[in-house]
Amino acid sequence: MRTLRLAGVAALLLVPVLGSAHPLRLSLCQIEYSSQAATLTVSLRLFLTDVNEALVFDPYSRALRFAEADESENAEPLLLAYLGEFFSLEANGEPVPVSIQSKVLGGAGEDTTLSIGFSYRLTAPLRSMTIKNVVFTDLFFDQTNIVYVHVDDASRSMMLSKSTPSHTLEF
Amino acid sequence: MTNQFILRSALIAIISAWLTGCSSEEAVEPPAAVETEADAEAALIERAMAIHDRVLTLDSHADTPLRMIEPGFDMAERHDPRETGSKFDYPRMIEGGLDSVFFSAFVAQGIRDDEGNTRARDLAIQMLDAVVASADANADQVGIALNPEDAYALEQAGKRAVYLSIENGYPIGGDIANVEMFFDKGVRYITLVHSTNNDLADSSTDSNGPEHNGVSEFGAEVIREMNRLGIMVDVSHASDDVFFDALELSKAPIIATHSNARAVTRHQRNMTDEMLKLLAENGGVIQLTMLSSYLRDAPPNPEREAAITALQADMKPATEMTPEERSAMRDQINAIRRQYPDPLATVVDVVDHIDHMVSVAGIDHIGIGCDFDGGGGIDGVFDVSEVANITIELVRRGYTEEDIRKIWGGNLLRVFKDVQAVAANWEA
Repeated sequence: MRTLRLAGVAALLLVPVLGSAHPLRLSLCQIEYSSQAATLTVSLRLFLTDVNEALVFDPYSRALRFAEADESENAEPLLLAYLGEFFSLEANGEPVPVSIQSKVLGGAGEDTTLSIGFSYRLTAPLRSMTIKNVVFTDLFFDQTNIVYVHVDDASRSMMLSKSTPSHTLEF
Repeated sequence: MTNQFILRSALIAIISAWLTGCSSEEAVEPPAAVETEADAEAALIERAMAIHDRVLTLDSHADTPLRMIEPGFDMAERHDPRETGSKFDYPRMIEGGLDSVFFSAFVAQGIRDDEGNTRARDLAIQMLDAVVASADANADQVGIALNPEDAYALEQAGKRAVYLSIENGYPIGGDIANVEMFFDKGVRYITLVHSTNNDLADSSTDSNGPEHNGVSEFGAEVIREMNRLGIMVDVSHASDDVFFDALELSKAPIIATHSNARAVTRHQRNMTDEMLKLLAENGGVIQLTMLSSYLRDAPPNPEREAAITALQADMKPATEMTPEERSAMRDQINAIRRQYPDPLATVVDVVDHIDHMVSVAGIDHIGIGCDFDGGGGIDGVFDVSEVANITIELVRRGYTEEDIRKIWGGNLLRVFKDVQAVAANWEA
């Protein structure tokens, strides 16, 4: 079985929870913090059809060709602009700039996923983190976004949605 | 039991039948034939509701623990499924007359190393703890159930039964001791694998194909441990080879907690007739699930496609749009979606599958696992408050109260007892 690593993070395999056209509208985000490295590492895994629908209004569009050799120059700017509206992270009350340092495609067909990853070094130990994740809630009323947070040896999960767009964790 | 939806449906059926028979200028007395038809429908619904009330109803699979980790989500509150996407809470469970449920802790498959496994185990524990906490917080309405008879005892006490389970064996990691740890936490079935292969078994939907050609060596060890402890082996999501291996490896009957018939709807997640027959010989049970794509081939939606194509034809290139233009475009597409929604499967599709399964495997090997909050929800059974519509359709097709008792939980609880009996007589 293939395993993916993104910028040091054990990337989630966002899988078709329910077969073709993923009837459960879902994205997975994994955030890792290591006190030793003082670094936040973020992996966001999205269904490619949802990404295309959000950015170019056509789930099967080939206009952007994310993570392919001939990826469109518009792909990253469009995705970052979208994420700027629907995804954000704060550490110790300060915004963490979202960037795209890695991109990987996984799965196949309707269930193809796009995983993006980035890391950010903190200047102070992590005491609090606010996560907002409402990606694709503008497309699907039942979109749910699972977030796994691993801070040193402690793991916890949460689900964010249109009705619960963000949550703050204290450490 | 009350079910406003059903009662509303009955009333609408009666009024509609009556109205079709008279114009405003006609006498107010409805024609006798129409009255008879409406009366018959009302009587059928009344009979079905009485059966639904008398039998113990059990849903073998709900992913509601995913909702329970949503900050602020309260199982004691009634949620609007079309507004929030939530398909299950305790008020709607009561409204739908559902007596018992298996809540499944699902952890998405990740990296299969020590660190990934440990994290998966911890996340599963967090979800299981969330279920127990929700039951504790609503102890006047629900109780945690550990054994088959607990569902009946809780029903007698006027409460709903909540069983625990795990969907995806990933949290077991490579440590067999975790199986007993999860048993001690109350877990009574484990779905061996989810949508991609794991260390235990191959998935039916992994795009990379099989890895173990069935159950792995460690997976066989896990099945043995589940047998020893009295945890049911769930083969939903597993590849066909895993099903055949599990049949051979398990000393107790196995279950498929949310799967349908492949002969009716061709999907890898569904089970072939051969599998259904073997499952029946094994004494196991398949629990029918409420996912449209597993219940029928999706019909085309030409009106929606045409409307979106027309919109896109006049669309400025997406890369040149301002944020405001993008937002306006999104609103237009959403409006088209609302105007031409994709049709969902119906209760008729559900009972078509049940009819087929009964004809192949027999009435003693069929049950229901809706997969609410995991994608389940169809027209007529959109959320847990509407599950009695399944009973109505079963009555309409001629199923007896005893048949319905078996389908709505009797069969699964029989298997559960058999699995516990194997554990009780286990010899190392």
